[in-house]
Amino acid sequence: MDTLLAIGVVSALAAALAAALTVAERFIADYGACTITVNDDRRFEVAGGGTLLESLSRNNLFIPSACGGRGTCAYCKVKVLEGAGPVLPTEEPYLDAAEREDGMRLSCQVKVRRDLRIRIPDELFNVRPFAASCVRIRELTRDIREFRLDLNDPAEIEYVPGQYIQLQAPAYDGNEEVYRAYSISSDPAEPDAIELVIRLVPGGICTTWCFEHLHEKDPVSFNGPYGEFRLSETDAPMILVAGGSGMAPIKCILHHMQNRGCRRDAIYFFGANRVDELFYLDRMRQFEKDLAHFTFVPVVARPEAGASWNGETGLVTEALERSLTDASKHEGYLCGSPGLIAAAREVLTKLGMPEEKIYYDAFA
Amino acid sequence: MKESPERQKLEAVLRSSGMVAGGFLGRDRRPVAEIIEADAAELGRLGRTASDLAARMRDITKQARGGLETPVRVGANLEARMIEAKGSLPCPWPHAGRYPKGMVIATRPDTGASVRWSELSLHLIEAHGFFQGRGSRYRLEPRDAVAVLF
Amino acid sequence: MLQALTILFSAAITGNIVLTKFLGMCPYLSVSRRIKTAAGLGWAVVFVVTGTAILNWLVYTYVLVPLQLEFLRFILFIIMIAAFVQLVEMVIERYSPVLYQNLGIFLPLITVNCAILGVSLFMVIREYTLAQTVAFGLGSGLGWMLAIVAMAGIREKLKPDRIPKGLQGPGITLIIVGLMALAFIGFTGVLGG
Repeated sequence: MDTLLAIGVVSALAAALAAALTVAERFIADYGACTITVNDDRRFEVAGGGTLLESLSRNNLFIPSACGGRGTCAYCKVKVLEGAGPVLPTEEPYLDAAEREDGMRLSCQVKVRRDLRIRIPDELFNVRPFAASCVRIRELTRDIREFRLDLNDPAEIEYVPGQYIQLQAPAYDGNEEVYRAYSISSDPAEPDAIELVIRLVPGGICTTWCFEHLHEKDPVSFNGPYGEFRLSETDAPMILVAGGSGMAPIKCILHHMQNRGCRRDAIYFFGANRVDELFYLDRMRQFEKDLAHFTFVPVVARPEAGASWNGETGLVTEALERSLTDASKHEGYLCGSPGLIAAAREVLTKLGMPEEKIYYDAFA
Repeated sequence: MKESPERQKLEAVLRSSGMVAGGFLGRDRRPVAEIIEADAAELGRLGRTASDLAARMRDITKQARGGLETPVRVGANLEARMIEAKGSLPCPWPHAGRYPKGMVIATRPDTGASVRWSELSLHLIEAHGFFQGRGSRYRLEPRDAVAVLF
Repeated sequence: MLQALTILFSAAITGNIVLTKFLGMCPYLSVSRRIKTAAGLGWAVVFVVTGTAILNWLVYTYVLVPLQLEFLRFILFIIMIAAFVQLVEMVIERYSPVLYQNLGIFLPLITVNCAILGVSLFMVIREYTLAQTVAFGLGSGLGWMLAIVAMAGIREKLKPDRIPKGLQGPGITLIIVGLMALAFIGFTGVLGG
């Protein structure tokens, strides 16, 4: 009898406390409906309590994130004008003084507790997740392949030539899921498919997946489009410099120029280490025929023995200097490794190109 | 050993393969602090410090970058080549800054021995004295590094 | 009234729960690095210890004693403390997210802070009335907070100093606790125990 009473009392009290806590949570943790105003233009009504990143993504507004909201990649920075509260210790290491003054926050750490006003780059409004299928894989060189993805849902993509997407490599071989950025290289006139030019990085999570685990007919996910690299609206003559997979956005821009009947002067320096690292040569020759004033200049640093090469040799920046004396009226479009971009910028400014006329695709 | 929440978070990030394939700790089951100390001790025995090594690696990286992926001669008996990849990585330690992806491969033409590192692994050595766990793809054995680079 | 005040004073100073009774050492050693965080945790502990002392007194007097189930006090006190700490967590998370993040895991760990259970059990042993329980709980909490803030102050002051490698962290902290406890022994004569 005593035992039953004892058990009864303990259970009753525990139950009463649990009930009280549930009720308390309902009131305390209920932030009600909050309004997030984006760019003083769009308004989203969200249920408070979630992170800013989640709340926005549930409303189809995708802030870039590489770590899934864990607070380690700092990709998800957003300018919060009001409503975010004090900077959290988990955000502090990733924001420098200037950013903090500006109101920059990590959207994966900011909790929505009241109305917020935020500012994001306009292009993010156009970012969507896409479900696609890989329909063709072509080997371009020993370590570069072209992947063609047909879009399923949504069936079409709208992007500015020069932009990139974030490709999802799912979890495999003990690796976690990651997203990596690749530029779109296909013809923008085909909105139902995109092509990516991917170079195998030894030990790279995503490129290893693409080269060893992705086959034709497999489903693929990505989101986008992102990026500010694009053709300008002027008529100025262009100097394009790219190496390796940096060819991708350049090719896309060339397609675009052809579609528009653009008659701008353009010269494209494509650098490679060896002759067998060149690719898309035929495609570029075709562009030379189809575009009004386009010249393609492949540059090979060290042509290997046995490969007959009559074109330019040495570093692509050296070829650039040899071909031009004055670049003050030109615009520069650079795509490639940070080292290449730095070297090319140096040469171009030396030749008179104003810094603000040099456009480059830097993923760093 | 009971560790503070920050240390635990750091270890979790280092072990995960969200940033690099295989994570930064490889097969190593030792705690991070132990790995750092063991490598510092090894360097000490070889008469060097992590900052000496890092400074040398930085110098080589700078020269290699100018080669734009072609091999570059560094000093009398070292050849270095930098291969860059698109993208950058944050450091697993909680502070701002991103490190471009890519790799520097430094080779001794006489012995054929080579070591390699990335911008991030160089930063880990320079700022945190962290050479990465055994089995990690980018672990740099202090012994090999000193043999090739000095 | 005077007796309640005496109890409060003795719980805070002469019978300081952490420096003379050595209860609640775990969070005391871990969260005493920075004054701001220590003060935040200190206030949380004051709130929890006072609140749970009152609630536990009510449950003990009006449920356990009439039903002759005093032996259940250990289980029930812990359940009450756990629920109360949950509530405190919710409130802190809502109203001070910075403090919530700074405390991290140590906020739910208040539940197993033996000082809190200790206060409730002392209240039973010493057969305190409700007023005395309030004073005792409040005094113990304030004493704990005083001790942890003082410790944090000392540790912050020691930060630029070179402490031998083996003693860094818990080593030097325990030495400091020992010295502080010695100092507090000086108070034992004040109220005649």
